Amino acid sequence: MICAGIDAGSRAIKVVLLDAESLEVIASGVRDQGIEQEALARQLFEALLEENDHRRNEVSRIVATGYGRNLLSFADTTITEITCHARGVRHLVPDATTIIEIGGQDSKLIRLNPKGVVRDFAMNDRCAAGTGRFLEIIAARLGLDLQALGEMANRSRSPAAISSMCVVFAETEIIGLLATGNPPEDIVAGVQRAIAARVAAMAGRSLESPIIFTGGVAMIPGMTGALESALGHPVAVAPQPLMTGALGAAILAARL
Amino acid sequence: MKDTPRQITLDEWDARYEVLRAAGMSEAAYGGPLRRHVKDGDLRLLKLRCDNSAASLRLWNFLLTEEDRLHEARAAGKKIVGAMKDLGTVPVIAYSSPNLVAFYPDGAWWIPCVEELNAGLLRIADSLGVDESFCPVRAMLGAFLTQEHFPIPDLLTCSVGATCDDFSTIAQRLNGLGYPILWWEIPNRRWPDPDELAVSLPGGFCAPRPQVDFVKSELERVREGLETLAGEPFDAAALSAGIKKANQVRRLLAELRRLVFTAEICPLPALEMLIAEMFAIHFCSDQNETIAVLQDLLDEVKNRIQANQGFFSGETVRVFWVNPVADLRAMNLLEECGGRICGTDYLFSHALDEIPEDLPPVEALARMALSDPMVGPAADRAERICKDIRSFGAEALVFSRVPGASHCATEGKVICDVVQSKLGIPTAEIEVPPISDSLRPTLRSRLEALIETTKDQRK
Repeated sequence: MICAGIDAGSRAIKVVLLDAESLEVIASGVRDQGIEQEALARQLFEALLEENDHRRNEVSRIVATGYGRNLLSFADTTITEITCHARGVRHLVPDATTIIEIGGQDSKLIRLNPKGVVRDFAMNDRCAAGTGRFLEIIAARLGLDLQALGEMANRSRSPAAISSMCVVFAETEIIGLLATGNPPEDIVAGVQRAIAARVAAMAGRSLESPIIFTGGVAMIPGMTGALESALGHPVAVAPQPLMTGALGAAILAARL
Repeated sequence: MKDTPRQITLDEWDARYEVLRAAGMSEAAYGGPLRRHVKDGDLRLLKLRCDNSAASLRLWNFLLTEEDRLHEARAAGKKIVGAMKDLGTVPVIAYSSPNLVAFYPDGAWWIPCVEELNAGLLRIADSLGVDESFCPVRAMLGAFLTQEHFPIPDLLTCSVGATCDDFSTIAQRLNGLGYPILWWEIPNRRWPDPDELAVSLPGGFCAPRPQVDFVKSELERVREGLETLAGEPFDAAALSAGIKKANQVRRLLAELRRLVFTAEICPLPALEMLIAEMFAIHFCSDQNETIAVLQDLLDEVKNRIQANQGFFSGETVRVFWVNPVADLRAMNLLEECGGRICGTDYLFSHALDEIPEDLPPVEALARMALSDPMVGPAADRAERICKDIRSFGAEALVFSRVPGASHCATEGKVICDVVQSKLGIPTAEIEVPPISDSLRPTLRSRLEALIETTKDQRK
């Protein structure tokens, strides 16, 4: 039988189809999030089934996670992103002890016990300064996509200091920095540092390695280095970081 | 009137009220259907799910008629004391005189929630320069200015010093608007140095003798102010009687907490327990009625436990909750997410401890005031929380930040760290503004994640 995990995030919907016995991924897909969240998730899920010659009745269980999880009426159950990312990352990186997940609208720090069970977690979901949203705003201001933004950050020699705690004020600060001739790559690197500093504050003083970085922001060049600098620890990016939530949901669907 | 315990909506309460009345329910003078409070502007009731017992109906009616009670007290010639930034000390003194009624103006912080911001009290506070960067207690300023809620007190007292910086600012703003305040100072509690005489405080704390003596002298000033207002002296016998009465309330609450938090099946939901506990600090403007309301609730809880009736399944996670919430819906939300309250520290744990009855009354009150969790280090508070978590058997902790309240700004981290390192249980920090509807998905995520994490750790 097949199990499915659907991560209805704030920026993208991710679906993983999994063989319930072998836990091998049969198919996975991503699409942008929109207003009709349930319809978009259902379309992606059904398209993946069809593309891989499977039928709906072969799917024994669907677990939904992510910001929009409660909107997916066709899911059998919902589980939070904390539990799903933990399960997904641990499946891919069996010795993961600390997980940092930065998504479009929140960031999370998850600590696992030796068995891989969540020991505790911290979330930032009230302030965009620690999330991918900050990068999106800066990318829009500079007229770049997120990939190009990250590549630009890698060219920075002297990251700018972004002192505002609020993204809206930070944007004003960045306009000022651009107007005074600061190189865009330094500004972008400064923004990445600011995001990393937020995550480091959330992590506190006790961090155990290995630290695995996941979520959509983990795919942006430069962010891993910024996190390593802020945390003072090496950070590894999870394989397929965008998919770990959906993968964890699918694994949990198979294990329920 | 024996029915299965349920949490019901206001619509369901309309029908339930008729059933209870037809069955011969006796009501206090402030009784009646809950619906009438909505007509008075308490719109939040439309979104809450309340316990369906007659005892809980009485509890809600008692809570929501406090302003009426204060106006009646004034009409009857009693003097009204507004005991600000005082979680359980000055009201004990005030209620030692039959001529005084004390209440808690800071309680106005719930008006924006209960009236769903309709009263505009926060907007008035904004206009006075006390914006949302301050604790929602700032709503009190609006209530003073509109005079549409509680009557303006004949005497305002306010503690200052090692209490909440936010509240000191708010109270000083009130003072500046022309409301005289009898300030009394409480120092930052510290553990005695080796060469100092140590005094035991309720709650397991200690303070040096000079600190206790200082607070005693401050409370003597408050007593003099209250005596002048009452027009009669409060002798030691009157104060001792006042302490005994306050202890009656505290004992009832202690028993209620013990039974509710340790019962295998939860006999009373979180919302009603929160309201009942709040009565410890100010008696909802009627000490005798507080005792009657709590006794009723306690009887209901005992009956439910005996009948093996209550709420939530055996899978439910036992949660210790720190700090009261500005939006009452948060308590319902925890239960919807699969948790139940098994232990609380709503910032006034000292008002739940019995006041020593074997000491001179002002000495006893000073010791109690100094055991306030807000006037000591956060680490002390964390230790007490750990002790209570152990005794109630809680499996997880929610630290609910009060938006803008500076006394809470960093203690969440301290408390969560201590609880995690000493007890190894999961914790979650949330922040609950007066109306949290738009934040409900994020609050739900945190609470659900805490519940999931706790259940995973059981395995």
